[in-house]
Amino acid sequence: MAAIEVTNLVKRFATKGRGRRSLVEAVSGITFSVEDGERLAYIGPNGAGKSTSIKMLTGILRPTEGHATVLGYIPWSERRKLVRHIGTLFGQRSQLWAQLTARQTFWLLARIYRLDDRDAARRIEELGELLEATTLFDVPVKSLSLGQRMRCELTASQLHSPRVLFLDEPTIGLDLVAKQRFREMIVRLNEERNTTVFLTSHDVSDIEYVARRVIVINHGRIIYDDDVSSMRRSLLRTKLLEVRFEEAPRALSIDSVEVLKHSGLGYKLVVHTNQRSIRSVLDELLDDYSVADISVLDPPLEEIITEIYEAPQR
Amino acid sequence: MTRTPYWAAFTDGIRRTMAAPAELAVRIGFFAVILVVFSSLWRAATQANGGMIQGYGYRELLWYVIAAEGCVIATKPRLIEEIGDDIGSGDIAIDMLRPVSVVGFRMAAEMGEAVVRLVCALSLGAVFGLVSVGAPPSLEGLLAALPAALLAVGCNLTMQYSFAAAAFWVEDAKSTWFLYQKLIFLLGGMLLPLELLPGWLAGIARLLPFWTTAYVPARLMSGHAEWHLLIVQLGWLIVLVAAALAAFRAGERRLVVTGG
Amino acid sequence: MRIILSTFKNSLIEAWTNRRSFWLQVSIMLANDLVWVLFWILFFERVSTVRGWDRSRVLLLFAILTTVAGISLGLLANARKIGQLSAGGELDAALALPVHPLAFLLVRRVDTGLLGDLFFGPILFVLAGEPTLERTAIFIFGSLCGAAVLVGFLVAIGALTLFIGGTGEQADLGFQTILILASYPVDIFGGATKLLLFTAVPAAFISGLPTRLVDDWQWTTAAALLTAALLFASLGVALFNLGLHRYSSGARWTRA
Repeated sequence: MAAIEVTNLVKRFATKGRGRRSLVEAVSGITFSVEDGERLAYIGPNGAGKSTSIKMLTGILRPTEGHATVLGYIPWSERRKLVRHIGTLFGQRSQLWAQLTARQTFWLLARIYRLDDRDAARRIEELGELLEATTLFDVPVKSLSLGQRMRCELTASQLHSPRVLFLDEPTIGLDLVAKQRFREMIVRLNEERNTTVFLTSHDVSDIEYVARRVIVINHGRIIYDDDVSSMRRSLLRTKLLEVRFEEAPRALSIDSVEVLKHSGLGYKLVVHTNQRSIRSVLDELLDDYSVADISVLDPPLEEIITEIYEAPQR
Repeated sequence: MTRTPYWAAFTDGIRRTMAAPAELAVRIGFFAVILVVFSSLWRAATQANGGMIQGYGYRELLWYVIAAEGCVIATKPRLIEEIGDDIGSGDIAIDMLRPVSVVGFRMAAEMGEAVVRLVCALSLGAVFGLVSVGAPPSLEGLLAALPAALLAVGCNLTMQYSFAAAAFWVEDAKSTWFLYQKLIFLLGGMLLPLELLPGWLAGIARLLPFWTTAYVPARLMSGHAEWHLLIVQLGWLIVLVAAALAAFRAGERRLVVTGG
Repeated sequence: MRIILSTFKNSLIEAWTNRRSFWLQVSIMLANDLVWVLFWILFFERVSTVRGWDRSRVLLLFAILTTVAGISLGLLANARKIGQLSAGGELDAALALPVHPLAFLLVRRVDTGLLGDLFFGPILFVLAGEPTLERTAIFIFGSLCGAAVLVGFLVAIGALTLFIGGTGEQADLGFQTILILASYPVDIFGGATKLLLFTAVPAAFISGLPTRLVDDWQWTTAAALLTAALLFASLGVALFNLGLHRYSSGARWTRA
């Protein structure tokens, strides 16, 4: 049985603006399933329906139509039971009590989730080591930096060893280094106990470093659902070449290759791989020009996603 | 005078308050509740006391309450806290960049807001009073009470600014709004006409500025045309404005020195 | 439930962490209460009784009221903030935990200042309320019932935010109003107002009825008070649960 099963979920909101009531469809019939242990990134621009989706899956919102189960529970009608087995980390919301130390919140959570004292203590130590956060636990939460706080939040969400972890825009406000560390932590948690990770984000790098599978949602509809490696392969129509020549080439004209930019002896080239294989381009380059150094790169995922957003709806 | 930025701030305050009718309604609703409570209290009290308490009959007391409460409710109870917050957060530094007196500007704006609330409160109070006991006991008193009400609100505002200025020096000064309110309640004559206080306490109250905010307009409105009270108010107003300006000037100097 | 007690313990610890702020708030509240006591003392210097209420009776009323306030606004500080919490999204945080959201929210915060009332009330009772064993027991009973009525009332009007939207500030007006009305001897009010105080705005049950009971225990009055307590508490819970149902249908527009 899949960890998360969603069938044709629809959510309509009635907006009451200036006397007129109109229906807005935030989620227009989404269907997907997530297996145990998967790491899924649920990507979409603002207003795409991400938060609405995750609220339905965590039992906060009832759908207008459709069906879903998480770990076999119907979220909106069996919320209290479901919540024991899932962890949530919602970017803007803190589970930690600001004036207290993280550990004091952990102990409260241990009570709330009915954890055995010894189990809880052990779990806190485990997580502290795994997330490199042990030294942060005994300091008042309000004096932690955002990155440090997020590691404590992760600990809090994992205390009761949930089978699914829902994260809603968790990296907002973190600097690049902190973001990277955070992503690393999520991967570690997933690998530690095969926790299913369901992450919503509009930061494409979250796919790059965390997800093995990607669902792209826009205007309330799923427009892409596949694993990340397939995404790269199927949608990749270009590759980037960074070339440094030994001497300046007189005229660079190679089939299916464009010069993106150049400065001095360094050139950035775009190869249209749907027209010509990268192999033959490399052969030509190395045969006809004096190349000092060369690297082959994928175009940034950002581009791929944007393409997906802008692709005509199937 | 109407060309100065202070007048602009004043009219802006008026406009702003009238543009938020819900907030105004809540404040006036509150005032109505207080009127109901105090009119009931004094009716019961005068009945139990043979109709008169220290020279005030029920009619006098009701008009007293209307004026006293009306004047106090015109100003925001948490104004001291707000100013304290602005000082603490450094927002006041932004105000200091303008080529006008910080305090003067803000006070003018607050005065504009307060005038709107005062007019609304006194109008409601007048209707309530007329329906319950008829006209105020003395026409002369009423005439004196109207400018007194304006002066009362002015004194209240400037006093709050002086109090709030303590926030330049002490961090928790903004919590003192609570205490300020109680001083107005007791020594300002808002809860009890000063004649009902024991002699020594009333004497102290008359020496302090608090009575200008509630007692004076209320005393006049309740039929005692003691015009000299207006002069006392005016005198205190001048002193309080000077005090507020001086306190803020000293505070600003401190901000510049210590960097907020 | 143990969970609720643990959460409550944490709230108390949280309130205690900033020591300086704690004592400052408590002192301000005590000063505030003293001023009111002073007011009544001065009032009754000039007026010996008012409709059967004399100074000691009114002080008893005030003792009960401050105790009720200490419980309802100090210990269960979120009772009057249910509206704001719902509007602000803190409800979601409570929904993410395996607890009953209302119970959790109620114990989630303790207000240090109003906690001061919880000391002041009983002390005032001891000093001015002629405490005998019997009167003390009734005092405790009356205060608890009054607190139940107040909490139920506050939760009910706060829960309205879940239905009609808004920022929850309307609840604040309701709270101030009922508190003012409960601060004065209920018998000074005329017929219509008095009826109101026994029904829609249950100020009479918060302070007036408990005071009557201490001075003059009648089983019928006690039953009425207990009934009111149960009624308003249930009303609060019911409205909250209904509101929660509405909230989860997303009747208020939220951004996806």
